[in-house]
Amino acid sequence: MKQEKYKARNRLGTGAMYHMMMLPGILFLLVFSYIPMVGVITAFQDYVPAKGMFGSEFVGLKHFIYMFKLPDIGQVISNTLVIAIAKILLGTLMAIIFSILLNEIRFKFVKKSVQTIVYLPHFLSWVVLASVVVNMFSLDGSVNQILAFFGLENINFLGSNTWFQPLIIGTDVWKEFGYSSIVYLAAITSIDPGLYEAAGMDGASWWRKVWHITLPGMLPIILLMGVMSLTNILSAGFDQIYNLYNPVVYESGDILDTYVYRIGLVGRQYSFGTAVGLFKSVIGIVLLLSANELAKKYTDRKIF
Amino acid sequence: MSKNWSITSKQLTKRLAVLSMSALMVSVLAACGGASNPPTAEDAGQYEVTPGDPFSAYKDEVTVTMGRVTTANPKLPAGDTYENNAYTRLVKEAFNAQIKDQFEANGEDYSRQVSLAIASGELPDMMRVDSKDELKELVDNDLIEDMTEVYKEYATDNIKQIYDSYDGRALDNATIDGRLMGLPATSLDSAPTMVWVRQDWLDVLGIKLDADGDGAIKLEDVEKTAEEFLKKDPGQTGKPVGIPFVNTLNTTDYNGSAYTMLGVASTQGAFPQYWMKGEDGSIVYGSTTEETKQMLGVMADWFKRGIIDPQFGTRTFDDITALYTNGQSGIAFGPWHIPDWGLSNTKQMDKHAKFTAYTLEDADGKVNVAHANPSGQFIVVRKGYEHPELAIKIINLFYDKLANDKDVATSMPEAAKYLETGVDGSTRPFNIEVNSATSLLDDYSDIVRGIKGEIGLDQVRTTESKNNIGSIQTYLKDQDTDDLTAWSKYHSRMNGVGLIDKLTQEGKFNWMTPAFSGTTPSMKQTWANLTKMEQESFIKIITGAEPLDYFETFVSNWKKQGGDQVIQEIEAETTSQK
Repeated sequence: MKQEKYKARNRLGTGAMYHMMMLPGILFLLVFSYIPMVGVITAFQDYVPAKGMFGSEFVGLKHFIYMFKLPDIGQVISNTLVIAIAKILLGTLMAIIFSILLNEIRFKFVKKSVQTIVYLPHFLSWVVLASVVVNMFSLDGSVNQILAFFGLENINFLGSNTWFQPLIIGTDVWKEFGYSSIVYLAAITSIDPGLYEAAGMDGASWWRKVWHITLPGMLPIILLMGVMSLTNILSAGFDQIYNLYNPVVYESGDILDTYVYRIGLVGRQYSFGTAVGLFKSVIGIVLLLSANELAKKYTDRKIF
Repeated sequence: MSKNWSITSKQLTKRLAVLSMSALMVSVLAACGGASNPPTAEDAGQYEVTPGDPFSAYKDEVTVTMGRVTTANPKLPAGDTYENNAYTRLVKEAFNAQIKDQFEANGEDYSRQVSLAIASGELPDMMRVDSKDELKELVDNDLIEDMTEVYKEYATDNIKQIYDSYDGRALDNATIDGRLMGLPATSLDSAPTMVWVRQDWLDVLGIKLDADGDGAIKLEDVEKTAEEFLKKDPGQTGKPVGIPFVNTLNTTDYNGSAYTMLGVASTQGAFPQYWMKGEDGSIVYGSTTEETKQMLGVMADWFKRGIIDPQFGTRTFDDITALYTNGQSGIAFGPWHIPDWGLSNTKQMDKHAKFTAYTLEDADGKVNVAHANPSGQFIVVRKGYEHPELAIKIINLFYDKLANDKDVATSMPEAAKYLETGVDGSTRPFNIEVNSATSLLDDYSDIVRGIKGEIGLDQVRTTESKNNIGSIQTYLKDQDTDDLTAWSKYHSRMNGVGLIDKLTQEGKFNWMTPAFSGTTPSMKQTWANLTKMEQESFIKIITGAEPLDYFETFVSNWKKQGGDQVIQEIEAETTSQK
C-alpha cells in the first residue's frame, strides 16, 4: 500500500504538488462552466420549470427560427458587434499606447502612482460608475455645463441615439485601459534591453525603437489578447449598458444580452433566452478557432 | 493543418463527452436530495389551537417566507424594517407565525424577482404576483396551492362580502379551471388620472385655474400653467423642468398610473393599452386608434415647446419624484393617492407646498375614463407550504379585524400607532388592498360627515377613516403644519377623492368598459416584443425622432408582428363566452 503510493508520486514526478494546485480551478470550471452546459438542452425545448429539463417538450429549432424572425434582431446584432468591436479595438490601442508611454517614465514613484490611478476604475462596478456617468452626462450635468460655457448647444447624451454608442464605448475604454495595460507592460519588460542599445548605436530614434523593437516584441501578447477577446465579440457588456440605457436609446444601445434579458427573462421565455445564449457561444467558438488558425497561418503563432 | 485539426477536435469531443457525463451524474444526484412529502392542506388543522377558526393561532411557531413589495418612503419608525415591524410582530403575536422576507423589491425589480423565483422554482411561501399572466403560469407549472377550500373555511364573512361586492369579478379573476388559485387584491373603479398642480405656485403667480370651478380643466390650461412655471420658476431652483412623464407612458392599472400620460389620452378619448369594442363590434387595441395618434400629436407638440421635460424617456420613476421634491416641477399626473407616497416628499422640503387636483376634460366637457379591472394582483401560496390557510388568516387580520375593529387602540396598540402616524400600507405583510367596490366613496362620506361633526367617531366604519379624520382636522386647523401625515391625508382624501366624489355626483364621467382584460396563448411569445415596439415608437414620435405619421407604420408593424393574431384569439375567446 505504502509502496504503491510512493510509486504514484514518482510517476507524477515532482510536479505533482503543482498539478494539485490546479484542482480548485478545475473544480470551479466544472461546477460553474461545464455542469450548466447541460442546460443548453432547454434551447431546443418549450421549457416549463415545473416539468424540468428532461420533462419539457422538444421543439427543435423553433426558438432559433423565432430569433431570426424578430424584427429588431438585425439591429440588435449590429449594435452588439459595433459596440464590442469598437471596445476591443480602442481598448487595446489605448492600452498599448499607454503602456509604451508609461514605460518611458523613469521616476518609479510617478510611474507607480499613475498606474494605480488608471487601474482604479476597473475595480468599481458599473452599478456605481453608471450613476457617476449619468451625473456627468445628463442634460444638467457637468459636461453640458462645460459645453454651455463655451457657447455650445447642450447634448442629451443619454437620450440620443447618435451619442449613446460613443458614450458607452468611451466610458468602457476609460474604465478598462489601465488594467489591461498591465499585460502589455509585462511584455515590454521582457524585451531584451540589448536590442535597444544596439539600435541606439545604429542611431535609431525613439520612434524607430518603438516601431521596430517594442511593438514586434509585444506582438505575441497583442495577438493572444486579441484572439481571446474575439470570443466575447457578442458580449458587449451587459452591466454597463443595462445600468445606462433607457427606452429612448434601445435603438442604438440594445445589445443581445440586454434584449434577451428583457424579452427572455423578464418576459419569462426561458428557452428563447437559452437559444440566444447558445447562438452567442457558437459564434464565439467559431471566431476563436478561425482567428487562431489565421494567426497560425500569417504569423506562425498560435494559442492552442 | 487539417490533420492537426482533426486530432485536436477528436480529443476535444472526447473530453467534452466525459465532462458532460460527469456533469449529468452530478445533477442527477443533486436532484435525488430534494424529494419529501409535505403535509396537505387538509391535515393542517391539527397544528392549530382552534382548528378552522379564522383567527386561530398555531401551537408551535411556524415560519413563513415572503416576497415583499416595498416602497421608497414607507415612513417606518426608526429601528423597524419591512421584516420586523408592528405589522409583522402583530402576525407573530396573533398566529404565532414568524415572517421572513425572501426578497424585498419594488417596481420592475419586484417583477424581476418574481420571474427569477418562478424560473428557479424557489418560490417564497407567499408572495404577490402582479398579473393574471403570472398567476396562470404558476398554475401551469403546478407551483402554487389551490386556495378554494381554505378560502371557504377560513375567510371571515366580512372578507367574503368585500370580494362579493365586485359581483364575483374579483374572485373570478383568480379562478382557473374552477379553482381559486390566489387571493385577489381589489382595485376600485376609481377615476381618470388626475393632474396635481402646485397651488402655492399658482397663487404666487396669480394664475386662476379652473375658473368655472367644476374640477375639470382643459389641455390648454395645463399647457399655459406649465409654460408659466417654466418661465417664472416659482420653485426658485434656477432650473425649472417641464412636466415629467415615465417612459412606460401607459398602463391599464389606475393605481399604477402615476406620471403616465393617461390623463392626456383621456382628453382625446384615447384608451391606450385597453382592449376595446370598435363601432362594428370587433376588438380594437386602444394603442392603435386614431385617438391615440391625436394624443401623441399633443405630446409631440408639448415636447417641442419644452412643456414636457426635455430628458423625457431617460428619467426613472425616482428621478421624477425628485423633480417634485426639489421644486423643479409643479405639475404631476397621477391617481388620487400620490400625495400619500410621492408628493409628500415635496412638503418635507417646502413647508408651504400645496397641491390641487384637477381632471382633464375633452372638447365636449366630459371626463373620459375606463372601468378598472377589479383585480390584477394576487397573493399566492407556494405548493407544498404546510399552512396555506395562513394567507387567509393574514387577510382576515389586516383587512377585516384591523380595518373594522372599533377599538384598535387597545386591542392592537402598536399597529394602531402605525395607522395614526401614516406608516405606509406597504409595510403590511401583503402589499395589497382588499376593499369593497364602493369603499372609496363610502369612506369619503364618512370622513366628510366626521369632520362636520354629523357623525361621531364610533360611527365611522373603518379604523383608517377614523385616523384620517383626525389628520385632516389637524391640517384644517393649521395648513402650514409640520405633520406630514396630516398634509398627505388632506390632499389625497379631501382633494383627490373629494374631486372623484364631486364628479361622480355631477355625472361628468364618460365611462368606457374594456372588452377584454386577460391574455391569450400567442401573447406569451409576441407580447414582450409588441410592447417594446409600442413604447419605442411612441417615444420616438413624442421626442420628434419620427414624424407623427410614423404612427401608421407602427400600427401596421404591430398588426404584422403578432397583433392581428392576438386580436383573432381575443375575438374567439369573447364570442365563445357569450
